[in-house]
Amino acid sequence: MDSSFAITGKGYVIVAADMTAARSIVKMQSNEDKIKVLGSHLLMAFSGEPGDTVQFAEYIERNIRLAHIRNTYPLPPPSAASWIRRELADSLRSRSPYAVNLLVAGYDLPTHEPKLYWIDYLGTMAPVPFAAHGYGSYFALSLLDKYHDPEATVDEGLATLRRCIDEVSKRLIVTPGKFKVKIVDKNGVREVDF
Amino acid sequence: MSAFEFANQSTVQGDYTKVSCCRVVLRFQWVFTIVVEYAMEAISHAGTVLGVLAKDGVVLAAEKKVTGKLLDLSGTKEGGYGGSGEKIFLLNSNVIAGVAGITADANSLVNYARTAAQRHLYSYNEDIPVELLTQRLCDLKQGYTQYGGLRPFGVSLLYAGYDPHCQFQLYHSDPSGNYSGWKATCIGANNGTAQSLLKQDYKDEISVEDAVALVLRVMSKTMDSTTLGSEKLEFATLTVDPVTKKPKSKIYRPAEVDALLKKHDLAKKDEDAEMKTA
Amino acid sequence: MEYNGGSVVAMVGKGCVAIASDLRLGNQALGISSNFQKIFPITDRIYLGLPGLATDVTTLKEQFRYRVNMYTIKEEREIEPEAFAHLVSSTLYERRFGPYFIEPVMAGLTKKPSGEYRPFIAASDLIGCLNFAKDFVVAGTASSKLFGVAEGLWEPDLEPEDLFETISQTLLNAVDRDAYSGWGAIVHVITPESVITRTLKGRMD
Repeated sequence: MDSSFAITGKGYVIVAADMTAARSIVKMQSNEDKIKVLGSHLLMAFSGEPGDTVQFAEYIERNIRLAHIRNTYPLPPPSAASWIRRELADSLRSRSPYAVNLLVAGYDLPTHEPKLYWIDYLGTMAPVPFAAHGYGSYFALSLLDKYHDPEATVDEGLATLRRCIDEVSKRLIVTPGKFKVKIVDKNGVREVDF
Repeated sequence: MSAFEFANQSTVQGDYTKVSCCRVVLRFQWVFTIVVEYAMEAISHAGTVLGVLAKDGVVLAAEKKVTGKLLDLSGTKEGGYGGSGEKIFLLNSNVIAGVAGITADANSLVNYARTAAQRHLYSYNEDIPVELLTQRLCDLKQGYTQYGGLRPFGVSLLYAGYDPHCQFQLYHSDPSGNYSGWKATCIGANNGTAQSLLKQDYKDEISVEDAVALVLRVMSKTMDSTTLGSEKLEFATLTVDPVTKKPKSKIYRPAEVDALLKKHDLAKKDEDAEMKTA
Repeated sequence: MEYNGGSVVAMVGKGCVAIASDLRLGNQALGISSNFQKIFPITDRIYLGLPGLATDVTTLKEQFRYRVNMYTIKEEREIEPEAFAHLVSSTLYERRFGPYFIEPVMAGLTKKPSGEYRPFIAASDLIGCLNFAKDFVVAGTASSKLFGVAEGLWEPDLEPEDLFETISQTLLNAVDRDAYSGWGAIVHVITPESVITRTLKGRMD
């Protein structure tokens, strides 16, 4: 039932994920953070099978950190995304696959470009200008087709995100509730009140 | 039984009977020292390899020791990625290396490096950073100095490479598994002379063209033979393609080496012509 | 095949070959990306199309790059299309009882001892059974439609520009009748001198 969105703009990526932790029809918590900060310029929104999600996200978080310590510099977003994808693709054909969907967002320091990757639990990866997972994607993607602007400022990007979240809250039978929103740009990662 | 207890057992049969703990340690150190030093000594007689780091590229040159009239070099003229496959090798699209030491060991290390680089590309979808590739090889080399009964790799390497993190880089690694980064350095025979020449003439912010000239000049002074030619010299550069922004390595073919030497006025002189002018 | 959608076609011309694919990546009926590449350059003269399950598209692309790079550096020459086709076949057959859901299509030019180039196309099923065709090969969710259009439009000995037109019309018209393919197309025409790559718009709905 969880929804996550991400939008690239001029020199930044906005990532948003709902904050609900639910078991069956019961809402257990409304302040869960489903966006991991993987590095100074790297974010990952995760959703999917409860249990798998946090386990997989922490496994990725620590291995990305280990790669940073070993190599002295962090993995750039395209390499990190490729490696994460491979972990899911390998997991898919293992005895117990992870069922986790991801949005990997980062700011690539060598090329000064915002990067966004849509990754699903099969290990499908696509570099995209905007992306969404969960039921929210059925509403948000068509909105983003119309309103997305790669040259938009952060404020304009947040306004577009607001449209997506409002639409989902209006049309989805179960309103996702509050959203956590994080932005990554050349200055690093920051959280914004939304 | 721990190793300490084992070493203190005076009744143990075999080589270590009645040997004290201290002497076992000393013996290991002694073995390590002679074996690695033996390898280093072998390298100091090997063909010279010289590397210079420039602001827009890296230059490598190497002296070939194995030459002879009957050596079949027809394979080096075309095909492959250039070079004669004796001293300078392509390790990855962004790294070339010059080797000095036991050729058979070098081939094995080159193969290991190429596999390691491709594994990195497979896992991370990016060219392996130069220092990381150097580290991979050094981890392997170090292992052979530690475990008993094995002989270390008798090879020193110069790595010339490019990656987006640290741009152009030049590294040196020795048989013990130590490595270090350099602006200009030299391994193999006469490396002392070459290094002092490099120290004199190297300037920061040197360009690739100037580095090529510097490398050739130092090579011509340090090599045993009086004349330079493609049968004695291997040469390579690593730059970044101005259009694609991708690293571009060029290992010169014999004809190209001769052309380069001619351009820098270091080519073999025609003896008849010299006789006439004399 | 229907999970992500996508189609590839390859055709033989006179001293040249062409390979083309759509650019859609979907999640069943939902479109995710309109710029998902399924065709990859292997050497200067070989291109490989990988329609099928998108996770396997990426995995196989990376695996073939690894194997071809190791081949190139050890053999000190580029791989020829015939050898590459068998590399594809054996890579897929390794997973005979848990296959990659991909039906590869490849197009290339073989260098003859005389120095001339001979067109080469081939396709394989998901476990590596090769099909060396003399005219055209198709694969993906629109394959049945591609067969029909290609049968009608293709003729022998087409020059590069005519081959481009033929393969483009074949692909565009076939994917218009397929819900899982479309969202733009890319065409590569491989000639001995160069590779002509063009991106086509088509119906973006």
